[in-house]
Amino acid sequence: MSIPEKIYRWLDVRIGVGELAEKELTGYHLPVTINVWYSLGSVLLFSLALQVVTGILLLVYYVPDADKAFASVTAIMNDVPFGWLIRMCHAVGSNMMVAVLLLHMFSVLFMGSYKRPRELSWLSGFILLNMVMGISLTGYLLPWSQLSFWATTVATNSAGAIPLIGDELVQFLRGGRLVGPYTLGRFFALHVAVIPLGIALLVGVHLFLLKRIGISAPPSGQKDSRVRWKGDSYRYEEHPGGIPFYPNYVVQDMSSICFYLALFLLVVFFDPYIFFPKDAFIPANPFQTPAHIKPEWYFLPNYQTLKIFPSEFMGLMAQGLAMTFLALLPFVDRNPERHPLKRPLFLACAIGGILLWIGLMIWGHYS
Amino acid sequence: MDTSRRNVLLAALGALMTAAAGSVFYPLFRYLAPASTAVTKKKVTLQLKEIPEGGAKFFEFEGLAAVLVKQKGGGVAAFSAVCTHLGCIVQWQQGQNQFLCPCHGGQFSSEGAVLGGPPPKPLAKLPFTVNGDSVTIG
Repeated sequence: MSIPEKIYRWLDVRIGVGELAEKELTGYHLPVTINVWYSLGSVLLFSLALQVVTGILLLVYYVPDADKAFASVTAIMNDVPFGWLIRMCHAVGSNMMVAVLLLHMFSVLFMGSYKRPRELSWLSGFILLNMVMGISLTGYLLPWSQLSFWATTVATNSAGAIPLIGDELVQFLRGGRLVGPYTLGRFFALHVAVIPLGIALLVGVHLFLLKRIGISAPPSGQKDSRVRWKGDSYRYEEHPGGIPFYPNYVVQDMSSICFYLALFLLVVFFDPYIFFPKDAFIPANPFQTPAHIKPEWYFLPNYQTLKIFPSEFMGLMAQGLAMTFLALLPFVDRNPERHPLKRPLFLACAIGGILLWIGLMIWGHYS
Repeated sequence: MDTSRRNVLLAALGALMTAAAGSVFYPLFRYLAPASTAVTKKKVTLQLKEIPEGGAKFFEFEGLAAVLVKQKGGGVAAFSAVCTHLGCIVQWQQGQNQFLCPCHGGQFSSEGAVLGGPPPKPLAKLPFTVNGDSVTIG
């Protein structure tokens, strides 16, 4: 018996890895009509792991002190061997993770996978989206550049539009009247401890729900799911005669991850500064606001919304309403039909919403 | 025939995987490796007038703690300040004209010799040259 076989035998006798692999890998059947969009979740897990690893590595040299943060990031970029690679992977990775997350969400929207009984999967995913936005926003401040400083000033300032408690809330977020060393401290704690814990927890919930409910069959192609959900009792959606997760769909997952990795490394090695405006290279100066300060691309629609409404409060309300509607979508859209072409109203609203969102982003970019 | 083709392909795959792993782990190792693994062989120059007679000055030499003692009568001596017992840094007892290691009570003379306590060896002597009013160690 070879050494790997001996290790396998040893483990199998003790914890039954064979049975586990049969149940979770080879015996875990997915719908035959499953498509490439279903692998985006694996791509997201992979990119999240990459963010965690590069983030921990950055912690080795980063100093979360307003006087030293910019210099420590400069040292990581210029002095530490391969420091530029680790930092660029982290910065580019965050942007690309948001992009993949949005694609994942759009695929769930168009294939109607958010519909009952998967309301909780949608909700946990929606909260994850918000947490990823939050971790991106808090991470933005850490290099303590002009861009970080003023983007955070603008972002925290928008909380001031909330009536009655607005001013106190802004001060609470900043740890003072202005963005300063105390803001860096709390954003650092949020970025490296609080939000990552929350994300880990919710990813666990999201995956638990996926395993517990069973994966949804794509709306097009043959119907192969044995149990149609009726709402009277819990049912696992199984797919007899479907393709095994391992090795068949794992190959799809791996190829999607490799495709993502290729795109990711293309940006890291050939245009890493695509996400860095020039204010990202100037140390923060609390007494000089740079011209044309703008947030990251995925916050541009929010930024533009705040500008087009006559009052900041109305702008915030509009965003809050849109987000609440999105969160509660599976409770509003109760029609069991999942094929996008058989849901013309949904299709029109979804495409209109996405176009509006992209339009606001472009408007925000050029305004 | 088929097995040899399979073996060649497997070997190629193995080489490719090794190269890929290397391209990940080499940057990772270099990133985490200390800034300078080689000890810098820099000479240290101290001014004698900064040290009172019977006093000592501690400084860093080749990345470790070192001490220069100005003995009564004008002689100087340079030692590694690392106790030969378990690596603590010795203190200079100006009154008693000796070194004391605070960790386990090791005692060394102003010449570095063991006077008492657990240290197995005398303090390591460092080479130095005196140029008028300054001492260059190394």
